Amino acid sequence: MKKVLLTALLAALPSAGAATLVFGANGDPVSLEPGNITDGISILVQRQIYDTLVDFKDGTTDLTPGLATSWKSNANATQWTFTLRQNVRFHDGTPMNADAVVFNVSRWWDPKHPYGFRDQGRTFEIVGQLLGGYRGDATAVIKNIVKVNDNTVRFDLNQPSSVFPNVIAAGYFGIASPTAIRQQGARYGTPASKPVGTGPFIFQAWRTGDRVTLTPNRAYWGEKPKVDGLVVRAIKDPSQRLNELKAGTIDFANDLTPEALRSVQADRNLVAVKRPSFNVGFVSLNNRNQYLKNERVRRAVSMAINKDAIVEAFWPGLGISNASFVPPVLAWANSKNVPEDYKFDPQAAKRLLAEAGYPNGFSIDLWYMPVSRPYFPSPKPIAEAIAADLSAIGIKVNLKTEDWAKYLEDRNKEPGFDMYMIGWTGDYGDPDNFYSAYYGATASDDINWNPPQLQRLLEQGRAAVSQADKAKIYAQIHEITYNANYRLPVVHSQPLAAARTYVKGWVPSPLGSEAFNKISVVGKR
Amino acid sequence: MGSYLIRRVLRTLLVMVGISVVVFAFVRSIPGDPATALLGERATPQASAALREQLGLNKPWFINYRDPANLLDAQFPKYVGQLVQGNLGSGIKSNIPVRDELAARFPATAELAVAALLFALLIGLPAGIVAALRRNSVWDNLATTISLVGVSMPIFWLGLLLAYFFGVRLGWLPPSARLGNDTVLEPITGFYVLDALLRGQPAAAWDAVRHLILPAIALGSIPLAIIARITRSSLLEVLGQDYVRTARAKGLAGRTVTLKHALRNALLPVVTVIGLQAGALLGGAVLTETIFSWPGLGSWVYDAISQRDYPVIQGGVIFAALVVSVVNLIVDLSYAALDPRIQYR
Repeated sequence: MKKVLLTALLAALPSAGAATLVFGANGDPVSLEPGNITDGISILVQRQIYDTLVDFKDGTTDLTPGLATSWKSNANATQWTFTLRQNVRFHDGTPMNADAVVFNVSRWWDPKHPYGFRDQGRTFEIVGQLLGGYRGDATAVIKNIVKVNDNTVRFDLNQPSSVFPNVIAAGYFGIASPTAIRQQGARYGTPASKPVGTGPFIFQAWRTGDRVTLTPNRAYWGEKPKVDGLVVRAIKDPSQRLNELKAGTIDFANDLTPEALRSVQADRNLVAVKRPSFNVGFVSLNNRNQYLKNERVRRAVSMAINKDAIVEAFWPGLGISNASFVPPVLAWANSKNVPEDYKFDPQAAKRLLAEAGYPNGFSIDLWYMPVSRPYFPSPKPIAEAIAADLSAIGIKVNLKTEDWAKYLEDRNKEPGFDMYMIGWTGDYGDPDNFYSAYYGATASDDINWNPPQLQRLLEQGRAAVSQADKAKIYAQIHEITYNANYRLPVVHSQPLAAARTYVKGWVPSPLGSEAFNKISVVGKR
Repeated sequence: MGSYLIRRVLRTLLVMVGISVVVFAFVRSIPGDPATALLGERATPQASAALREQLGLNKPWFINYRDPANLLDAQFPKYVGQLVQGNLGSGIKSNIPVRDELAARFPATAELAVAALLFALLIGLPAGIVAALRRNSVWDNLATTISLVGVSMPIFWLGLLLAYFFGVRLGWLPPSARLGNDTVLEPITGFYVLDALLRGQPAAAWDAVRHLILPAIALGSIPLAIIARITRSSLLEVLGQDYVRTARAKGLAGRTVTLKHALRNALLPVVTVIGLQAGALLGGAVLTETIFSWPGLGSWVYDAISQRDYPVIQGGVIFAALVVSVVNLIVDLSYAALDPRIQYR
């Protein structure tokens, strides 16, 4: 009898791994159409449905084969050839081949492509930003895409780019089923559609504002999912994500506030998961300001801000401060001539200010963001700390802010902000992705400082083929930008995530999202 | 009555036309446009300008006076043309038709608002009545204190507190969402409790009810306090009037007088307040929905405002105005039912 009972009991228990995995995301995806989104949640969900040509090794920004098994360039990196994985099919049975890849790339990059749906307001703006423009644009990186044979595609570039495979590996560029796009038309990617990729999970349903439900792709070419289902829930409020984790109504979650670390560590059902840092939060100084024009003043400002103390106070255990614009995983791009840490020295800063002709200091505006970002989760108190540090050397700081959309617009409108807080989270593992966002030809004109020498170096960096050449060029860029003191890196933060203890095998990517196929669930109630 | 109804409907239509014009001009006069908001940190002037052009935001708002030949090219004529066909456009970024999203999200908000109102009435009315009948007693003081707390407690704070205590510490109720992870329910009306019953899924209905409780309490706390206070003061006033004394003098039992005569008249201002609260409930839903991950109108429009998603803001505001107008019309009509002296012509 006992044995029968026990057997019945065991049968009732779910077997190891046989469970639905529930993820708490900080909102709803915008669209499930690849190439047409820029937000992290859309990428996270798409990452489960679609594969990219090139992928990233777990927990790093190093490249590894995706839908392409190999790739190579010509000598000057103006032609990239990708060999595609064979016998891969989309969830709807369509074969994944050169035609499918050309179809996808063309709709992103060719404004006249019939399935680009530009008339419906489709923009594919990320292509313009990461790849310089669209078909026919002089600035566009891609000149042409060619099907060499069924399993080979070639990209011809307008300019040499050694980072092309890294760019195309970014989560924006999942490859979708051409059949599905042709069938569903302009609806593709909306909640009423059925997105189809080759990824580890198959789209099931999307209830906007609430959840996306996925089922495992049992025929996945890579490591097959170990769970029975995946639900991505939209939980905007960070405290509520923590609540749900603690209540066990979700299994793992992203983007908790740094203050949540202690609470997570105190809960024996939870483990804190620190995403490798891949961002930079910094303060920009505007060259149009009469004081900040002065090189000594800028140096004084940099030396007066106690960055280590700020990081310790606002990201305890979850951030580092160094003298580099790029996050620690790209440390190979840093110059050895630049000190690793900023020197915090208010006395020296005061002397510099006096040398510059301002022994009694001056008054200046510091703008802080009205929104929370991984690199500045609580901008206002951070701004207050910076203001306090600067007041110690006689600089009176007026704290200012405004609505985010206006903030983004006004910083680029002359005369811009005197000093303002902003940051960047990377898309792929190359220093160019960080530097070019704020320096060089395509950067914003918010600080009125963009020397031609720097622009030239950035172009050389993109074109350099060998890692040694690249390292040399970025070391120079590092030195120039460090010495100029126009953008003062404050932090490289580690976004905090957490999971129930039974969630095994989750390796978060520095890039912000990863496929969940390797996660198993052991002993979930 | 009939002509009154027609006049009211016409007036509502006029209001809707006015609101569509105002919201169109208003959203476009908020500084910062969708292109900049969508691009976020990537918003360089060049990138914003390019996106603005792709989205057609570089077109003039009203009349293209520089180019009269392309009069209809301006944003406003296009918008009006769509509106007349009942088309509210699609979200700028998501490309989801605003109409579809309204249809999916309004029932969620309505279900929550109805639950909140029910909660407010079920507690607020009796509390107000008891407070009035036992004036200056412990009950009165308790009701007054609670209603004061209810009015002054910020919804997001109360909501998080409720979620933490009942959802996490006690584990009695789910901290957020509309349904559990394992509940599968094919919507019919969009009111999940009702849908689950219609589909014959009692377990799903119970799940939906459990998910409703905490947000309904958070959202209902302010109307509850207001209803309790209005009921108390209104009932007190009516109880002091001559006809109540006359009824008592005629020898009618105390309870009959209070409930049948006094309460009925005292309810009139309460009904007015409920009507006004319909608007407030839609507004309060923004916070409640955000905290409780409730996929309703409030959180959707709120996001759209920060993203400057013009079609969504326009559609959401026009629709909310319509809902408030209709609720107020119903309230006005119910006056006549409650008080025969009120007649509409």
